Amino acid sequence: MTSTGERVELIGEDLGDDLASASLALARRFHAGATLWVVSPQWEPHAHHVAVEFVHPVVMGKRALPSVALVEADPVAQARVATRPGDVILAVASADDPQVREVMRRAPAWGADTIWIGFGPRPQAGSADHVLWVPSDDPMVPATGRFVLLYHLLWELTHVCFEHPGLLTEKAEDCADEDCADEVCVTCSDEGRLGEVVLPPESAFTSALVRTATGEEAVDVTLVGEVAANDLLLVHAGTAITRLDDLPGASR
Amino acid sequence: MSELNQNTDFLYPFIEGSEHDADSLLVDLAASARGKAEVSARLQQASLDEWRDQLHAAGAEMADRFARGGRLYTFGNGGSSTDAATLASLFCRPARGRAVPAWSLAADQAVMTALGNDVGFELIFSRQVIAHSRPVDIAIGLSTSGNSEDLIRAFTEAKKRGLLTIGFAGHDGGAMATSPDLDYCFTIRSQSIHRIQESQALVGFELWSIVQELTRRRVADTLAGSPDTLSGSNAGGTS
Repeated sequence: MTSTGERVELIGEDLGDDLASASLALARRFHAGATLWVVSPQWEPHAHHVAVEFVHPVVMGKRALPSVALVEADPVAQARVATRPGDVILAVASADDPQVREVMRRAPAWGADTIWIGFGPRPQAGSADHVLWVPSDDPMVPATGRFVLLYHLLWELTHVCFEHPGLLTEKAEDCADEDCADEVCVTCSDEGRLGEVVLPPESAFTSALVRTATGEEAVDVTLVGEVAANDLLLVHAGTAITRLDDLPGASR
Repeated sequence: MSELNQNTDFLYPFIEGSEHDADSLLVDLAASARGKAEVSARLQQASLDEWRDQLHAAGAEMADRFARGGRLYTFGNGGSSTDAATLASLFCRPARGRAVPAWSLAADQAVMTALGNDVGFELIFSRQVIAHSRPVDIAIGLSTSGNSEDLIRAFTEAKKRGLLTIGFAGHDGGAMATSPDLDYCFTIRSQSIHRIQESQALVGFELWSIVQELTRRRVADTLAGSPDTLSGSNAGGTS
């Protein structure tokens, strides 16, 4: 039972900073027309709570925003077909949730930003665009209101950002970034992009249909050999150069 | 790239200006998050302190009912319906401790829409109480206003049928705080729906913790040789 006088700091400095940047990024995506998709295979009610928070705000006068809980048995398949480039996927899940790990791994190929709320051991660095993590290993955390606080604050801060319309466009800042031009091939000015196979080639002489952050395109898969639907590829200049599912520890 | 920027910045003062604003906005947002979290934590502690005795009393009655085979129904509207579902999961699928039968009355979309469409939204929970409940059961409803008509109707029906009725409310407790149909009403004294829900979650968790502890003691007593303390079937009983 909860003991009296024990003061828990619910949001530390790091988590406060993470919440701030996640909120601004989310506000910018909403501003550009995003839908927020929410998955929580272990704690389905949290997915519903996030969605209803954005769709039907409790504060009068705040705008309704598109958000949907994806709670079917296969959230990877559900998120794959639901997500459009520019959308955001938010997961409430522990770092070892296999379905959420798949969603997070594939989101860049779908063109979606990702926010991951959870507790216990943190996801590997880079697993999601924004990681909002409760620094506790107590298995009861999901039932104590700490996740509720996190997504309430995400909602509140996102709406604060809407009061700063001049800051809702990402481009101005991205291009001021000195690293803006990095990671682009000097020869063809293309980069290595994550792609997910939609349709494998019909013969050795045709391309595969591959989905990347910018949409669907024909990709030459000769270099990586046989591919199947939903395989993850690294695409460079119209050619698949690596199959990510071949990497150790990866699963389809 | 940076050289180009330096040369052309004077053409686009807006870019430079907005960049600084974004940084200061982020600082403000982080400070705001931490400030609200502090308010939430203080409200949680104040709520636990205010309701400590009643939580123990309600927990004792719940443990007794679970031991006699009782089931828990939880309900609420909107975000509160999801918090009700989380509470039901805590009782029936806890990460640690004993599981007891519990479910959320908003979980089934077929039942919800059938009742809402056929008999009216204010009856979506009370009709299910009629269908499911026995006198040994427990009804827990969560509302931030304390005035939700569908909850009030469910509590009335539950009380009439002998269930233990427990409400979680906010603000001044609304109609739930004064209703004779509620055996317990844990009102969270705040005007913010968000802060109310965060405290309701922790107070609900505290109630679960108390039920777990009492159930553990009850079973321990039985195993130590006083079988009459364990009369039901669901707590691992012998009858």
